[in-house]
Amino acid sequence: MNFSKKIVLAEDNSILSTLLKFKLEKEGYKLLIASNGKEAVDLIENNNPDMILTDIMMPFISGLEVISHVRNKLEMTTPIVVFSSAGQEEMVLNAFNLGATDFMSKPFSPNELIIRIKRLLQ
Amino acid sequence: MSLNLPSQLIQIFDFLFIGFAIAAIGSYIILAIISAIETINYMKKNSFVNYSEILSSSIAPSISIIAPAYNETLNIVENVRSLLSNHYANYDVIIINDGSKDDTLEKLIEAYDLVKVDYLINNQIPTKPLRKGVFKSTNPAFDKLIVVDKENGGKADALNFGLNISTQRYTACIDVDCLLQEDALQKMIKPFLEATDTQVIAAGGVIRIANSCIIKDGKLLEINLPKKRIVRAQILEYLRAFLLGRMAWSKLNGLLVISGAFGLFEKKIALEIGGYDTKTVGEDMEIIVRMRRHMEEKKIKYRVAYIPDPLCWTEAPDNYKIFISQRNRWTRGTIETLRKHRKVGFNPKYHSLGMLSYPYWLIFERLAPIIEVLGLFYFLFLIVTNNVNWEYAIFFIIIAYLFTVLFSIITIITEELTYHQYRKKGMGMQLIKTAFSEPILHHPFVLYAALKGNFDYYFNKSIKWGEMTRKGMTNN
Amino acid sequence: MIEFFQNSIDTFNNTHHIIQLCILLTLLLIAAIIFSLLYLKNLRDRLKIKGRIESTYQKKYASDLIEYLYSADGENINPEQQKKVDYLTKCAQNPLKRKIIIKTFLKLRNEISGETADAIQNLYYQTELIKSASAKLKGKKWDAIARAIKELTQFEIKETHDEIILLINHPKKEVRNEIQKYLVKLFRFDGLEFLDVLESQLSEWDQIQLLEILNKFDNPHIPNLGKWLASENKSVVSFAIKLAKLYNQFNVKDDIINLFEHHDPEIRIQAISVVSHLGIYEAVSILKNNLFNRNLDEQIAFFKMMEDMSTPDEMDFIREFVNHENFYIRISAMKILNLITVDTDNTFRININDTELIIDNVLTKAS
Repeated sequence: MNFSKKIVLAEDNSILSTLLKFKLEKEGYKLLIASNGKEAVDLIENNNPDMILTDIMMPFISGLEVISHVRNKLEMTTPIVVFSSAGQEEMVLNAFNLGATDFMSKPFSPNELIIRIKRLLQ
Repeated sequence: MSLNLPSQLIQIFDFLFIGFAIAAIGSYIILAIISAIETINYMKKNSFVNYSEILSSSIAPSISIIAPAYNETLNIVENVRSLLSNHYANYDVIIINDGSKDDTLEKLIEAYDLVKVDYLINNQIPTKPLRKGVFKSTNPAFDKLIVVDKENGGKADALNFGLNISTQRYTACIDVDCLLQEDALQKMIKPFLEATDTQVIAAGGVIRIANSCIIKDGKLLEINLPKKRIVRAQILEYLRAFLLGRMAWSKLNGLLVISGAFGLFEKKIALEIGGYDTKTVGEDMEIIVRMRRHMEEKKIKYRVAYIPDPLCWTEAPDNYKIFISQRNRWTRGTIETLRKHRKVGFNPKYHSLGMLSYPYWLIFERLAPIIEVLGLFYFLFLIVTNNVNWEYAIFFIIIAYLFTVLFSIITIITEELTYHQYRKKGMGMQLIKTAFSEPILHHPFVLYAALKGNFDYYFNKSIKWGEMTRKGMTNN
Repeated sequence: MIEFFQNSIDTFNNTHHIIQLCILLTLLLIAAIIFSLLYLKNLRDRLKIKGRIESTYQKKYASDLIEYLYSADGENINPEQQKKVDYLTKCAQNPLKRKIIIKTFLKLRNEISGETADAIQNLYYQTELIKSASAKLKGKKWDAIARAIKELTQFEIKETHDEIILLINHPKKEVRNEIQKYLVKLFRFDGLEFLDVLESQLSEWDQIQLLEILNKFDNPHIPNLGKWLASENKSVVSFAIKLAKLYNQFNVKDDIINLFEHHDPEIRIQAISVVSHLGIYEAVSILKNNLFNRNLDEQIAFFKMMEDMSTPDEMDFIREFVNHENFYIRISAMKILNLITVDTDNTFRININDTELIIDNVLTKAS
């Protein structure tokens, strides 16, 4: 039962986040959307989500800092999936070093994202 | 007292001053027209440029952002965070702590988990030595950051150290409290990369005034007009200079100055000519003139590029004391640079640098305040000796004032047609009011500061940089 | 009242010519100021309205798009979707709305792939946006043409290939660049055929854009780079060297070696810089032989290359350069001899195991 599994999505592209919200809520997840790293961290601290999806390139606090904050300061083991644009391999490596669980490079298929989320939340 | 001065003498002086005024007005008009045309061209060319590929490309050249810092404890952590969040993929940030007497370094060490490291430095330009050393972060999220703590040597010396330590091909020299837009680096690097047979040696962009703007967590959230007249007047000044001036100079390949707040250079050339001059207060102008001179002497085709897009936001002085100090320094910098490179002036060997830029800067930038004041004294002299032709005098003043106002209004119109950043209700009216009041209420201070600059240059050698008290940009 | 005007005109005619001029000039300036103020007010109002319209439509089209995608139930378009299509087609007739619709489509299309992306692609055809783009190709304004080509590139419309090829020698470089990007995005490495006949210079900016487009394709089929490496057009050579490096084209060794004697120093340096990546061991002795005839930058590039390519036989040769006057050559020499180890972030460690050698004292240590 996917009921009430909470996912925090940090993504500054509003159309993309709306699309993902629709698709994921159709699957039964509850979506909390942040448009930058700072909002994301606030949502994570207040809602204790079951999964975190974050873009790497975001205004001000980057996705990397979100991961670092979650793993080191909040010491949470929540699965984290990062989105990266092509060519940001170094950033992705840094993300994994900081504790990211998985990554998907943009452009990515929303359906594949759903499959990965389901797998990680088992 | 009544003095019967020979009418021919009066006529000569009249013609001189009026002639100068007409020449100045003429030059503003010509520059404005060229600027307008070039800006429209630029916007056309760039309306469909895709910057995002350059953003994330590993093949795109790497840039070092070099930011000197002196006693910046109030904001340094925020400023550095802002610099680290730029969207360009390949860059590093070198903060040069120039012998600060406060805890700038300690704040950085704590905020960014810095440790001291052994670092390779190519000491090509002599600088003041290191103090506490070179620091890097243990946290991979901050691996772009390099912090240098060195003995105090001034801004130019700190920048030179940055040139020595950078390992990248291009260096962006910026003021540490400058708020860079996310796409500033790729916009600035574009002219360098687009050049085919003409080499681009330096690029500058537009500096906008951040006072009263809402900046949170290093990001520009809202653009507001500041309440103080002095800052509004500066906004008008910057708009006039950037929108209707620099673009023209860039087209004529005669740009003599790139704002010290944000400029991009090819590091190799900056090193070749010996870096910044530590003995001048106008190091941003001086290095451009020297770079241009160097390329002219080597007979290589080059240009200094200019990006009309707003890329950088900075705090402007909001009281007259600091304002005058700043303009005083700019004046002295201009005088120093023009004097140092006087060989270039009116010298056909230096093409547009010597025959166009230098004469213009000499006459209309450096000498203009002096001529204005002389004109004023002349006018007062005529009044006292009862030789004034009041009709002419009044019309002269009225026409000069009206022209200035018209020019400012056209500047505001140009801003609306291009970047349209002052969108809120009432801002148009406020800018217009400033256009009307500026020549009367603000310009005298500008004139005074320029005079003081001249005076200090010739008679007061001990003065150097002056103060700029930090208010912090995270306010509203 | 009329008397006042009469008196004024009389006074005017009686005054000195220069004063007449001044009065006229003053009146002219005042008129210009009034006119500008009116224009400015009008302009601001127009821009404000435009801004509001744009943001309203942005939200509307974004939600229309999401609903269209969301309500998909199978391969064919259901009536609900068709309603949206018709609505968007109608809106697309208006240039401003069309711009916003395209921007909205692309904002989403660029981030995702798979079924959803195909659906958006389909929508581009169904709303007949393709027609407006192809129409612009025939127009006169170069920026409209370039923008149309860019749009067709972003939506990957192969059908317009023939129309676009006609423009390949357009006088404006922006148009030519958009065409190059179109060819490469849609036809991948085959699209690079234009390099065979390219006469204008491909700037670094253009090269990076093209390489980034190519980078996104899996299973690249790299054509033989030999003819481009020997091109008369030095930007084509430079581009080919980059391709050789990015795609590990070990088969072009000889072509690269030939480039060591190219007339352009930048090309020579670029060629030397790929030697280690492509493992061209033969190059080492060739370069060593006329090293001192080369300029300083080439020598620096040589030593950088040697950091990865040197063999134990060359240690004595390298040792002579440990005290070279150039910083970069010294550091390379020290690295090769393992006197120091330098990390990727430029921090270093000294490994002195030979006390006879003096380490340069400008290596900046932490302590």
